[in-house]
Amino acid sequence: MTVSRRRATAAAAILTAGALALAGCAKGGGGGPAATGSSGGAATPTKPLENKAVSSITVGTAADSTGPATPVPGAKPGGTVNMIDRDDFSHLDPARVYLNYNATASSLFTRQLTGYRRGADGIKLVGDLATDTGTTTDGGKTWTFTLKDGLKWQDGTPITSADIKYSVERLYAPFITEGPTYLQQWLVKGDYRKAYEGPYNGKSLDAVETPDDKTVVFHLQDPHPDLNFTLAMTGYGAVPKAQDTKEKYDKKPFSSGPYQIVSHVTDKSLDLERNPNWDPKTDPIRNAYPEKWHMEFGVQAQNSTERFLADSGADKTAMTFHNAVAAERVQEVLGNAEAMKRSIQGLTPFTTFYNLNTKRLTDVKVRQAITKAWPAKQLQLISGGEVNTGKIATTVMSPTVLGYEPFDLYGVLAKPNGDPEAAKALLKEAGQPNPTVVYAYNQTPTQEKITVAIKDALTKAGFNVVAKPLNPATFYDAIGPVDNKYDIYWGGWAADWPTGSTAIQPLFDGRLIADNASNYSHLNVPEINDAIDAANKITDAAEAGKAWAAVDKKIMEQAAIVPEYYQTYFGLYGSGLGGVEFDPIQGEQSPLNVYVK
Amino acid sequence: MFRFIVRRLIGAAVIMLIISAVTFFLFYAIPRDPARAFCGKICSPTNLELIRHNLGMDDPLFVQYWHWLTGIFTGRDLVQFGACAAPCLGYSFATQEPVFAAILDRFPVTVSVTIGAAVVILSFGIITGMIAAWQQGKPLDKIASTSSVIGASLQIYFVGPLVVFFVVDSMGLLPRPSYIPFTENPAGWFVHLLIPWVVLSIIFTANYTRMTRSVMVEQLAEDYVRTARAKGMSGRTVFLRFAWRGAMIPIVTIFGVDLATLLGGTIITEQTFTLHGIGELAVRAVQNTDLPMLLGVTLVGAFAIVILNIVVDLLYAVIDPRVRLG
Amino acid sequence: MTTVTWDREPATPRGPGTFLSVRDLSVEFSTEDGVVHAVDSLSFDLQKGTTLGIVGESGSGKSVSNLAILGLHDPAYTKLGGEIWLEDQDLLRAGRSTMERLRGNRIAMIFQDPLTSLSPYHTVGRQISEVYRKHKGASRAEARARAVEMLERVGIPHARTRVDDYPHQFSGGMRQRVMIAMALVCDPDLLIADEPTTALDVTVQAQILDLLKDLQQQFGTSIILITHDLGVVATTAHNVLVMYAGRAVEQGTTHEVLREPRHPYTWGLLGSMPKLTSNVDLPLLPVRGTPPSLLNPPPGCPFHPRCDHRRLVGGDACATERPELSPAEGHRDACYLTLAQKRETFDGKIKERL
Repeated sequence: MTVSRRRATAAAAILTAGALALAGCAKGGGGGPAATGSSGGAATPTKPLENKAVSSITVGTAADSTGPATPVPGAKPGGTVNMIDRDDFSHLDPARVYLNYNATASSLFTRQLTGYRRGADGIKLVGDLATDTGTTTDGGKTWTFTLKDGLKWQDGTPITSADIKYSVERLYAPFITEGPTYLQQWLVKGDYRKAYEGPYNGKSLDAVETPDDKTVVFHLQDPHPDLNFTLAMTGYGAVPKAQDTKEKYDKKPFSSGPYQIVSHVTDKSLDLERNPNWDPKTDPIRNAYPEKWHMEFGVQAQNSTERFLADSGADKTAMTFHNAVAAERVQEVLGNAEAMKRSIQGLTPFTTFYNLNTKRLTDVKVRQAITKAWPAKQLQLISGGEVNTGKIATTVMSPTVLGYEPFDLYGVLAKPNGDPEAAKALLKEAGQPNPTVVYAYNQTPTQEKITVAIKDALTKAGFNVVAKPLNPATFYDAIGPVDNKYDIYWGGWAADWPTGSTAIQPLFDGRLIADNASNYSHLNVPEINDAIDAANKITDAAEAGKAWAAVDKKIMEQAAIVPEYYQTYFGLYGSGLGGVEFDPIQGEQSPLNVYVK
Repeated sequence: MFRFIVRRLIGAAVIMLIISAVTFFLFYAIPRDPARAFCGKICSPTNLELIRHNLGMDDPLFVQYWHWLTGIFTGRDLVQFGACAAPCLGYSFATQEPVFAAILDRFPVTVSVTIGAAVVILSFGIITGMIAAWQQGKPLDKIASTSSVIGASLQIYFVGPLVVFFVVDSMGLLPRPSYIPFTENPAGWFVHLLIPWVVLSIIFTANYTRMTRSVMVEQLAEDYVRTARAKGMSGRTVFLRFAWRGAMIPIVTIFGVDLATLLGGTIITEQTFTLHGIGELAVRAVQNTDLPMLLGVTLVGAFAIVILNIVVDLLYAVIDPRVRLG
Repeated sequence: MTTVTWDREPATPRGPGTFLSVRDLSVEFSTEDGVVHAVDSLSFDLQKGTTLGIVGESGSGKSVSNLAILGLHDPAYTKLGGEIWLEDQDLLRAGRSTMERLRGNRIAMIFQDPLTSLSPYHTVGRQISEVYRKHKGASRAEARARAVEMLERVGIPHARTRVDDYPHQFSGGMRQRVMIAMALVCDPDLLIADEPTTALDVTVQAQILDLLKDLQQQFGTSIILITHDLGVVATTAHNVLVMYAGRAVEQGTTHEVLREPRHPYTWGLLGSMPKLTSNVDLPLLPVRGTPPSLLNPPPGCPFHPRCDHRRLVGGDACATERPELSPAEGHRDACYLTLAQKRETFDGKIKERL
């Protein structure tokens, strides 16, 4: 899944100043609810953010795939949960869902063949509509899934294998352009757009077979041992043929999950009520305690932080999926013991890094020297510290990816402000004591400061730094071309599912280099390309994880990027809710185990 | 009068046409490809091309503009979104809803905020300004003038959350601001919008207090006002019938401009109180490089301005018989 | 006939027929720069049915003293002293509502510029009739009929339709007629005309003055005519009051003041007025210098810095001590020159140039 890019870009700047000014008032004045508890500076809990890594992620068994979901102690059903967030869900048609906050909402009414079950023993990939995580006998080229008994759409009609086939077929329709494209590509030869035009003109897709009402067979062109992870994406959720309204389906999808949509007013509200035809016994993932959901959009982070701190009225039973604590209120929240009890922290799948353009910086020693000289800690402080950014990263893969191994090839954590002497030594070895590097950056106030720090640090190591400001609106268009004229530029990525194949391959497979493609560092090392292919063939998830960790190390040896952060999430919810959890797969608050106290 | 209105309306249409064209072509001056917003994370060139075709972006610019323009009168059919009935302003790139429907849906919010605030602003601003002018140099005048300076220097995003915190969260006197259609529940409409109105008024009222005071003081020094007093007209009559009549012209002028600005979207107010009006649409359209929405809200803003200009001109003629419409 | 009395005793009973009696009137304005003595110890009487011309330069206090009669000053910035008796009522001590009842009703005023003095926002009919309604309690219809009647009386053609027109739809002369109609709608006892013809062209001036005279003859209205134009005074006024720096410097009947002017300032005023019959080669004799500042009036005779005849007086009385009006009755002036010196100087040096 993709994490929305909006958190990386500055929020509406016009509002920031006022909210800052207000910070003191709301807390100190009037003895409002937010001021309760010991919130003095001395009592501030200073523990670092928990690293809720999911490297314990495993593939579950058929037993794990049976419902109901693992109950939350003390939880009770009923009530209405309010959800406040900045943006409406841009897409709800599963085929068009890619962004994480769309996926989070969809989990309440859209089910896929597979999904992630959370329990005491970590996160497991389990069958959601399917009885298990699928079976393959030929290394991942042919996959068979069997549907559970008792699955129904919101109108009571059964969910059949034909529905699953249809859901895949409509992914090829011309108006479906926003979602993931893995499955479409894997099922056909060549360009999938040309191979099949979708089901609307009566044509069907032979690569998906339905021998009976319960069985779906996928015939892939090449082996993909982690297809069962791929199918857990909301993008591969089920859509019933009888209810397909094509373009309009996006506003009001038909439910296979615990809730159905009552009304959806774009950019304003989304109301859900219990789907009477959802049977918890078929669902290992969703507890779905509340009777109803009321979601309200257009609430800026400043406003939601304010409301969670005030914790009054209907906001007591409110949560947010995506809104984080407003950056300027973070310190205040950290110092508020009562609010901290209702806070959510965790590592998201989102990683950020600085691409080193290997097409221009051809000498690996020079790239390593940049990594060595990098003032990581200083940059983190400029951006607001760990809570506002994330943990300093030293690898390509995030701790949220299956197989993640922590390593720190360049001693960044030991010398977080850079090691100019070591960098100088590397440059000397390279025979280029004073190379010129062009650093391209988004021209925002924070980025200006960061650029100064980077320039200082690299200059100390002997680099001659040319800073090139870019318009934030067209940043990606500027760095997109393969022959761009920059050496260092920022980037971010989130794995579409928590394995190395989406965490690593799109960024570092040298055969995928193209204008505007995601391999922005243009790394093309045959050894790495081969290692990627090899890892992709491993059917055992744990073994594959190890292989990907090895690829990760190889890439870091090449110094194709300077890792920046494993991004963290820090959010609040109302005191009237229990079971609010962090979802490391989506990197935001999870709605699945929430209950009204 | 009729000919004046017809002529001005034709002029307004021309202005709107120019504004839409300028916005349209300026948008394409930004080196950014809106089609990429519809392309997944791993965006293949075929996919991108398909989207461009779906959005009609593979046509030359002026053809695209022509399609957009004719769509307003005849409707269009867009692959990415389906049919779009006239008046079709296209579909939002970001939310994929019809622009016209989105604007129509949000206009009542902005209108409600605007109208309510306008009533408060006008009544309070003018009354305090009148009192200040009446009590020129006396304590009441000084209080009114000082508080108007304070009011004018306050900001919505500062006062707004503060008022919400005390009135809604702490004391629970009023519900959290939101929009409830007037037609559904007039009382609810009123109490839910009261805070935005009052907060918005605090800032604007100050301007009107100061302006009313200064134009009234000016008018009171006019010869014809002296004549009225020399005729034995009572102080109140002189103040309200004579001086006020002359003071209305500058006030109507400024108010017309302010009203148009408010109707074009009370961006900060809407964001502060989480109201879903035109302003919010405008901000999102800019953030998302959402051309159809951008064009739509720009046109709404322009429309409000040109229409209110005509109304202001008509009002001039009503207030001042010397003004000829022609 | 008419007399102007020069009694300085406020308590002195006023003669029979005296309608308006101003006693020792002083008007002071407080400004940021200090106190302006706009009118200082001004006294005059006005008989029923007569016209008093008040002449003087701009800023000599003509208008200010008359605004004081109407009570139109801003009390916050103005200090008034003395007494203004309208029959047996002291206007300076009358309440606000009393004054409102008098204004436009018993005392009416015509202003200099009819364009700015009429409300541009209301029809002339409304502006006239509202006065009538206010003071006479007439109905809307009655007041409107009265407005039409008044417009007819002041010579506005098609009054019945023009009553609904706005001031900007009238010519300058017609507008002044409207002003007069408005002033006279309640048959006032006293009409104060402040430069009523200054803004009008000459032919219209004459018509307006004739109109005022006719109306006076018909209704016996007393008129105070404020002007800087001695020609207007000569044809209209019975008595003349010459003001300089807020004070009266010469008073008398029109005949006396214009034929045998005694004060050097009056000579100056007469000398600066061109005549059709005078020799075009002879230059006019304007008063040299500029009017004095009323913030700090010069000591002694306020006219002394501009006076050409001081040496005749001898000593420095002119520069130190203020000359009082003398004699007590009849034609009198405030100057240290002897009556003989005045007569000699006027006959010898001034008259020929007029």
